[in-house]
Amino acid sequence: METMTTQRPFSRRKARSRSYYTGAAAFFALGFGLATALYIATLQVDYVWRWNRIPQYFFYKEKEEIRADIEGEIEALAAEGENRRILIRGADGEKIIEVPAHDLRVAKGDLIAVGDVLGVREQWKVGLLMQGLWLTIKVSIIATVFGVFIGLFAGIARVSANPFFRWTAVTYVEIIRGSPLLVQIFIWYFVLGTLINSILAQVGIAQIPPPLWYGVASMATFAGAYVAEIVRAGIQSIHRGQNEAARSLGMSYAQAMVHVILPQAIRRILPPLAGEFISLIKDSSLLGIIAIRELTKATREVVTTSLQAFELWFVCALLYLVLTFTLSMCVKYLERRMIA
Amino acid sequence: MIDVRNLYKTFWLPQEVKALVDVSVEIAAGEVVVVIGPSGSGKSTLLRCLNRLETADAGHIFIEGVDVLDARTDINKVRAEVGMVFQSFNLFPHKTVLDNITLAQRVVRKRSGSEARQKAETLLKKVGIQEKARAYPDQLSGGQQQRVAIARALAMDPKVMLFDEPTSALDPEMIGEVLDVMKNLAREGMTMVVVTHEMGFAREVADRVVFMDGGGIVEIGTPEHFFTRPTHDRTKLFLSQILK
Repeated sequence: METMTTQRPFSRRKARSRSYYTGAAAFFALGFGLATALYIATLQVDYVWRWNRIPQYFFYKEKEEIRADIEGEIEALAAEGENRRILIRGADGEKIIEVPAHDLRVAKGDLIAVGDVLGVREQWKVGLLMQGLWLTIKVSIIATVFGVFIGLFAGIARVSANPFFRWTAVTYVEIIRGSPLLVQIFIWYFVLGTLINSILAQVGIAQIPPPLWYGVASMATFAGAYVAEIVRAGIQSIHRGQNEAARSLGMSYAQAMVHVILPQAIRRILPPLAGEFISLIKDSSLLGIIAIRELTKATREVVTTSLQAFELWFVCALLYLVLTFTLSMCVKYLERRMIA
Repeated sequence: MIDVRNLYKTFWLPQEVKALVDVSVEIAAGEVVVVIGPSGSGKSTLLRCLNRLETADAGHIFIEGVDVLDARTDINKVRAEVGMVFQSFNLFPHKTVLDNITLAQRVVRKRSGSEARQKAETLLKKVGIQEKARAYPDQLSGGQQQRVAIARALAMDPKVMLFDEPTSALDPEMIGEVLDVMKNLAREGMTMVVVTHEMGFAREVADRVVFMDGGGIVEIGTPEHFFTRPTHDRTKLFLSQILK
């Protein structure tokens, strides 16, 4: 196995035909052409690109003015690292306030009234897009964890001989896979959510679960059905002889499953499972409709305030691409590790 | 030890095949019974019915007085006492040789890790591949894999060993090493039921030979009787075909 991977770079060195280079050139020409066409089209509608306005939606500096809350005279200014310590003495007593040195607005001996600005403190804050990105990651991870659990059990139930387990799993999988995720999100939020919230209110529990919970629940049950099919296929791909060998040694169905079938099935399940998680990340963009401010919803909000729709939607797509691409790279690495 | 009475089994898919038709046979403790016959004669099905890998449609199987076909019988307990060796070895590819042999000991027999390991090492020595304990099955030759499979079955301290064409998937030069292990086992007094095409093994080791054809037992006898003066024409025909 290892020799195969080390040999690969050498096989790439072979001489390339002319059609290879023309093909490559055509590829880059196409990319460049499309980008140019888009740019020219935006000029036609007088769209002004303002990429410089985008970073502030990731991180921005917030300026906080530090004001005096007593009246008096500044008696002393002491250095305290990067800050200055201001001692104000007045009729009501004295007070020490710390202010960043570079934005100090007062000097020793100044008379201060209540509400006067002593200095300005700058702080980095996380912008809306970054918050949305984080929420998308959070929702995807939680839904993935629950989805794998649901899918693992449903997948095992799917191949069970017991009709209760098998029919339950088949019904679940078919219902989920046969209806749109958007509708499922609505059902979770507007039907199940309403029911659960009103019952909780009736029994006197004031804490109503936030929409995020219903969003995660809908994503997890959705992913679970697809994971179940992946798990089923993985289990069925293991040769029958493996089960027979395990059972002939006296292992129960469950023992054979846990010790023999599943460990082998997991290796085959991993690659399609990764594809499922990548879909999950993209599907989470639908959660905006139930007021979960994930990346897409956040982008929409930023577009409404900034009106820089073109840049922002490109950035939004790029962020999703970064997430999915990173994940698929990680899985490729894992796969290679497992095979070797 | 094993008592098979009027066993019937029909497969319906992909088409109707009467695999076993009124099969009755008794096997005593310590006996080595070799089952031979043309392919499709039902010999593998008979073997697989003995530990209920296939469920017979009608009839009875008693192993040490336990009714194998009774739904109330804990089949896992029966199987722990009945070792089975498969044509395609069926070793667990994700586990080392040692783990292959210790797994069922720990899970089914509830032995401690060190006890199971000791047992495994003793058995590996017995089948002559103790140096491969840390290897994975795909690093072994076919003959070595089959010997590990025998050790894996023996680790459960079975009362009977079933062999389902154990040498049919092997290269010719590896058949001998597997048959040697089986011969030693027979010499030690293990009760064995062996489905095989190795006539030499049948002649040398078997206490009795069972000849099957068309789902039924045609003839049972000692190897001496079977190979020198068989009674049935079908047996004579079969022997003339394979001993050409």
